[in-house]
Amino acid sequence: MSRLYGDPIEVWTRDGQPTQFVWRDRLYLVRSVLDHWVVAREWWKTGDKDPGERQFWRVEAGPGREVGSYELRYDTAGNGWLLLRAWD
Amino acid sequence: MAPPFPHLNVCSAYSMRYGTAFPGALVSRAVEHGMDILALTDRDGLYGAIKHVRACAEAGVAPVVGVNLALDVPSPAFDPVPGMPAPRPRSGRHGGGRPSTGPEAEDRVTVLARAKGWSRLCRLVTAAHHTGERGAPKVTRELLGTWAGGPGEHGFGAEDGLVVLLGPRSDVGRAVALRRDEHARTLLGLWRAAVPGVVIELVDQYGFRDAITAVRMLGLAESMGVPAVLTNAARYLDPVDHQVGDVLDAARQLVPLHPRHLERTTSHAYLKSTKEMWQVAAKVCGADQERVERLLLTTRRLAEACSMAPLDLLALHNTPPALHLPEIGRDPVPLLRHRAEDGLVTRGLDRSGPARERLRAEMEIIEKKRLSGYFIAVAGITDMIRGMGIRCAIRGSGAGSLVNYLIGIGEVNPLEHDLLMERFLSEGRIGLPDIDVDVESARRLDCYKAIFERYGEARVACVSMMETYRARSAIRDVAGAMGLPPHEIDAIAKAFPHIRARQITASLSDLPELRESRLGDAGLERVFRLAEKLDGLPRHIALHPCGVLIGNSGLHDRTPVERSLLEFPMSQFDKDDVEEAGLLKLDVLGVRMQSSLAYALSEIKRVDDIVVELDTQQPLPGDGTALEDHEVQYVPHDDQETYDMIGASRTIGCFQIESPGQRELVAKLEPRTMHDLIVDISLFRPGPVNSDMVTPYLEARHGWRQPYYPHERLREALKETHGVVVFHEQVLRIIEVMTGRDLSYAEKLRRTLDTPAGRERVRKTFVPLARANGFDDAAVERAWQVLDAFGAFGFCKAHAAAFALPTYQSAWLKRHHAAAFFAGVLTHEPGMYPPRVIIDEARQCGIQILPLDINKSGRDWRVERLGPRVLARDQARAQARDKTGDQPGDQPGDRAGDQPGDRTDDQSGVRVRVRTSALEGSPVRRDFKIDEIGKGYALRVPFSAIKGVSEAEVERMVAGQPYTSLADFWDRARPSRPTIERIVQVGGLDALHDLRPGGPRWRPGELTRRDLIAQVAVLDRASASGVRTGPRGSKRYSSPVAASPRAAAPPSVQLPLGFGERLVPGELPEMTETEMVEAELEILGIDVSRHIISFYDELLDAAGVVRARDLLAQRNGAEILVAGVKVATQTPAVRSGQRVIFTTLDDSTGPIDLTFFESVQGRCAATVFGSWLLLSRGVVRRTGTRAVSLRAVDCWDLRDLDSLWRSQGIEAVRAHLARAPEERAGVGGRKIEYPNGYRLSPYSDVGPAIADPPRPLWHASPGSSGPTAA
Repeated sequence: MSRLYGDPIEVWTRDGQPTQFVWRDRLYLVRSVLDHWVVAREWWKTGDKDPGERQFWRVEAGPGREVGSYELRYDTAGNGWLLLRAWD
Repeated sequence: MAPPFPHLNVCSAYSMRYGTAFPGALVSRAVEHGMDILALTDRDGLYGAIKHVRACAEAGVAPVVGVNLALDVPSPAFDPVPGMPAPRPRSGRHGGGRPSTGPEAEDRVTVLARAKGWSRLCRLVTAAHHTGERGAPKVTRELLGTWAGGPGEHGFGAEDGLVVLLGPRSDVGRAVALRRDEHARTLLGLWRAAVPGVVIELVDQYGFRDAITAVRMLGLAESMGVPAVLTNAARYLDPVDHQVGDVLDAARQLVPLHPRHLERTTSHAYLKSTKEMWQVAAKVCGADQERVERLLLTTRRLAEACSMAPLDLLALHNTPPALHLPEIGRDPVPLLRHRAEDGLVTRGLDRSGPARERLRAEMEIIEKKRLSGYFIAVAGITDMIRGMGIRCAIRGSGAGSLVNYLIGIGEVNPLEHDLLMERFLSEGRIGLPDIDVDVESARRLDCYKAIFERYGEARVACVSMMETYRARSAIRDVAGAMGLPPHEIDAIAKAFPHIRARQITASLSDLPELRESRLGDAGLERVFRLAEKLDGLPRHIALHPCGVLIGNSGLHDRTPVERSLLEFPMSQFDKDDVEEAGLLKLDVLGVRMQSSLAYALSEIKRVDDIVVELDTQQPLPGDGTALEDHEVQYVPHDDQETYDMIGASRTIGCFQIESPGQRELVAKLEPRTMHDLIVDISLFRPGPVNSDMVTPYLEARHGWRQPYYPHERLREALKETHGVVVFHEQVLRIIEVMTGRDLSYAEKLRRTLDTPAGRERVRKTFVPLARANGFDDAAVERAWQVLDAFGAFGFCKAHAAAFALPTYQSAWLKRHHAAAFFAGVLTHEPGMYPPRVIIDEARQCGIQILPLDINKSGRDWRVERLGPRVLARDQARAQARDKTGDQPGDQPGDRAGDQPGDRTDDQSGVRVRVRTSALEGSPVRRDFKIDEIGKGYALRVPFSAIKGVSEAEVERMVAGQPYTSLADFWDRARPSRPTIERIVQVGGLDALHDLRPGGPRWRPGELTRRDLIAQVAVLDRASASGVRTGPRGSKRYSSPVAASPRAAAPPSVQLPLGFGERLVPGELPEMTETEMVEAELEILGIDVSRHIISFYDELLDAAGVVRARDLLAQRNGAEILVAGVKVATQTPAVRSGQRVIFTTLDDSTGPIDLTFFESVQGRCAATVFGSWLLLSRGVVRRTGTRAVSLRAVDCWDLRDLDSLWRSQGIEAVRAHLARAPEERAGVGGRKIEYPNGYRLSPYSDVGPAIADPPRPLWHASPGSSGPTAA
């Protein structure tokens, strides 16, 4: 079962790909990227500025040895990361 | 270093309302990415293929061409594979539950042509369009199998075959995405059985589940041994273009923007670089490097297998050009020679040395270029058109060819006007000759049908053209996508003039009338910004107004063909592509003036029983073809009465010379010969007008200054236009004389003169050549200056000569058969002016305008003779006497045609055709009375002029004549209720029921129009309640027999024809004169009973307004008031680079031409464009001996002044007119500057936005030739 969170997190990336992130004061290392997709925003509903797009990353990561699946979201316009869900 | 990635699935803007980038831009981007192969796979057609190949050839990229086609939705019974019942998908999205919009609405596959597969690709696209609905081509596996070609190596099919790419949007891809793996395997198996070249296409645009589907498809391909390739299904140049793409998705599907309707979820469908595509490949293949390499290698191999040699498509650039010539059954070379020889005899040129020499030279080039068959085919077509009784005239540079004259394609003798063939067809020119013919617009499609019938659909096709987004259409589509309400969209779009989409934002601040509208502050910025991005994108394909491809049975191997709106086979190539592809075409242009002329001739025959021979000159007396039983009139080309009328600038209605500017020019130029008309038409072009070639010509023509010749040896070439370079032909002659090279070479140089860089190049060759040819430096410099200044602006004399003929013919008809001429003009509307202006001109010519009458009106405008017929023989004699007997300058008013009594002298009846030489140089002005040329004739308003009337109604109304009463009319003609009410309102039954509107409103005992309208209601109720049986009961019109008077005589039950008993005459008030004119304007668009301005006479007199007929008496420079109905506004290109508004008012005594310069537009533009009745203050400017124009200072809406006058009196009006003009900003926008100092406003030549009244009652530029429906 996955749980929904939506917590703002800090993420380190290499070539645009997340490599590690800090969630609830723990450092998670990204072991592999399971899936990655992008969703464009409904730009015609927002104001003048380009609302950008949202990048989703489903990764295997974990603090230390145990590994879980996590879904991260990056908002290009707001330049912020969220941890959306976790399967752990 | 790995080889660059080849994009094999790319849609350009020619995927209509889908793609956003033009082929050239895509190719440049590919070059920037270092790519060496690029495909173009537009949706539904090969519209951009030639442009793509051409851009590739120029950039050194190997082109691949393909198409993206929709799959025919399989019927549910056929879908599941036998013995393999597919599990019903939970989502229900497949089959019955398919959404109607969005990416899942249809399955699509991409088909690539192998290196030699172009013909099959064309045939496939043609077949797909043939199968599907118009504009929605569909293919099936079977159809693809038919055209895909034989088996080949590597799983890519044969070299001349097609390869099908099955991507995520294909039926296989959908099955994979839905995890219906077995179904996917079965489908792929079926594909492989049907088509030899099948490839799985992987696409990952970073959308949700894109990657998973791609991975699964790769697995499927590997397990079944099918090659898999990677593409990006590109439709943008840059990621930011996705917003435009979204708008196009919404516009294409006619839905508001919503994610559910969009094709994409991400912005990744752009032309990615090789590195980015490697990333995609890595993402799809996981970390498996070997798989990545295999995928990219397969992609590369497929791209190489599909790369074409550009010259295979660009046939014209081969040496010699690989032309696609028509078949004519036998060797065309001797055939054309014989026909030309015969032509020499029939044209009376067989003893002419120059003609023989010219013919020899032309035939040499034609045969060298192997074009004999083309000329034979075109001659066959023009013969056929004329054989159908359709008027047909040559236009354009083709008139310069003697061969065209000899074999009967055209009626212009190039030797007579010193026209050169090199302008049409020359040795050094790459490109194909273009023969253009004008036919009657009303019968253009008949011509097309006949051509298709004769040659068959396999050999001929129409040429298409792309309609692209402009301001209004872009705003409509964007606003629609944004979900704005339709009526608001309409209002916003119509507020804009016909400008380019990219000018929208700028125009909001530049143009006074838009500033006034405050549209810029209406929160529509995003709509406007997006609309600008649609600028120039193809929106839909349409039938080109004239081009017809003439080929052989292999035509469909060279061009894809689809159906036009009118079901004509239409090539997907536009006229440039057609030429590149080496296809020959003939332009058959529908010209309304030709229809008007034909109609006028038929009316002359009907009313006066005179046959006017417009095209053939009178045979010499010795020829033996005497006048037969009916009267025959010939049209000499030197009729001075016609030129008198032109010189008096009474040319409204005439071809080419009716615009305000032309009326001014003809008044100054005073043409006296056909050659003068040719010069006039050539001078009235933006180039000559802006380079001020007009003034020196006029001054030299009238002898006010010496003609200037750069060198004595150039005198011969420039003499005809008094030293001014007017024609292309003269440019050629100058180059020929100066350089000593031939005309073909000169034509090559002339074509280079168009651009500044080109002029510099020409200078470098011209100057040394001329010096070597023995001219001194000063002479060379002088000659060069002439070329530099005028070389690019000249007009093709052949073109002008071809125009001058119908111009003269129309003027001749106006002068001698005014009523019939106007009937033709009103029926076919060839010119720029709306009917009410033509009507007014007709009135001023002395023609009566008769109201609609259900017993006398016809389908079209008809001429009625008021008195006894003037015998044509007398008329002809009178004309002859005018020419032979009297001196020019004879008595005014003693015109032919009006006074048949005093014809006693000169029985010869033969016209003498000289005289022009005597007149040249000293044009003798004769007094000309416009109001006499149409005397004795009337024009009857036709049924077709009624607003909202249907074709069928008109037919019934005409067929049922005569009628005995309103009830009879209602019964037998069966008009709709609105139609019959309108007919009553405009007096269609006045004559029948003896109504006399006007005067007292209440007239007890007398029947009124309003009574009749009430009666219509009674009749309507009676027929609706079923009291009566008969034809009225059935609303449908079944057959013409039922409409004939006898058959339709109804078994009336209650309402006998004498319906008067039910009517109380005078119960309702009669219409006033104002109401009558209002009804006429509303219903007919014409003020028939009175001129609209006459209602304001009192005000105009009180305010001291000058009438048009008194303008000539005004002092130059005087400031006066004028008023009238606006009949035209134009904003043409003018020399200063300003936007200048030319407006013509009509005050029932003649036209008044006003010019609004930018300085006054700030306060006037909104009024000029927005009002219909204008009062203006202007400064008199004499433009010719009998022409006056006004520089406008201020203007007002006459109706506002009228209400002011009625409420507060004349003093208030005077005070209002005396207001100090408040200054507002003028027209903005950066001028477009040309190197010779000629500047152009970016808003010139665009039609302004207009407001009331509802029907077009005045002209607004552009578009004088009228729309051509197709």
